[in-house]
Amino acid sequence: MDIKKARGIRKSSEIITIAAATTPEALFTRTASGQNPRTVIVRKIFVYNNTGGDETVDIGTGLAGAFANIIPTITAVNGFDAQWTEELIPEVEVGADLTVQASALGVQVQVEVEEIG
Amino acid sequence: MAGLPQLYVYKAGPVEPVVLPGETVGLYVNKQWQFAQVEYIEPIPRSDPHVVDFGALAAAATSALTQLTLIEMASNEFGQWRMEALDDIEMTLWQGRSDGRLRSKNRMATVSRFTSLRDEDNSVEFFVFEDQHAWGQALNPTGYALTQGRVAFWGYRYVTTSMSQFSYPNKLPTGPWTRIPCGAHL
Repeated sequence: MDIKKARGIRKSSEIITIAAATTPEALFTRTASGQNPRTVIVRKIFVYNNTGGDETVDIGTGLAGAFANIIPTITAVNGFDAQWTEELIPEVEVGADLTVQASALGVQVQVEVEEIG
Repeated sequence: MAGLPQLYVYKAGPVEPVVLPGETVGLYVNKQWQFAQVEYIEPIPRSDPHVVDFGALAAAATSALTQLTLIEMASNEFGQWRMEALDDIEMTLWQGRSDGRLRSKNRMATVSRFTSLRDEDNSVEFFVFEDQHAWGQALNPTGYALTQGRVAFWGYRYVTTSMSQFSYPNKLPTGPWTRIPCGAHL
């Protein structure tokens, strides 16, 4: 019995280069133009930090004051790339667009998501 | 040598037609058998237009009993439907607003995210004749609010010609006929 049957389809965000420190910006826009908006689960995270210092990255929903993390803050070590795959990421399902903020501009972030609908 | 097709309702595994064009069916509707001949079949893929959303549900809340208009069929047609909960809800199925389906004497079963983990979809098969209403109700069993309560439906569409010259039990069709339960049996 296959109990790991996929729930949805895999898609990925653009490569986002953080434009301003500690300012949430769009990361992944969920599909919502059908009759029922899809929900989204983050499956993989790829971060590259070459800003000159260790930085933090927050993935969540909402912009500006409405930003809320959906997983804990991630530390991105200076000069390194880092990948988190689905075995390491809590299965948080959200019915909203994903946003991201980092402690410094220039950090690159990309996520792979599973969309359910 | 290929065998004859094994067609019957509630078959385990991926959804398949339960009868073929030209065959006779007895549709159990409003607690009576109505006879018809199947003329045409086509699949209804699992897709967004047949996803019912019971809406946002507070923790432990139950939705209103909701008419499933998205899966009603046209005149002289019946639908073979299977369903899958997309969100963490528990859905009950009713055919006739007060006639529960998928039940034992004292309890109604629900369709949830667990259902598709533990069977091959055959226990979530049901049939809708024309606009003989199917209804659903969703419970949020969790301790937090859900923004959506979606259930996806897919299956087959059957176009039929009525065989009103036959009736049950005194004037049955001469050949074999397949029983299609399109409503609750009380």
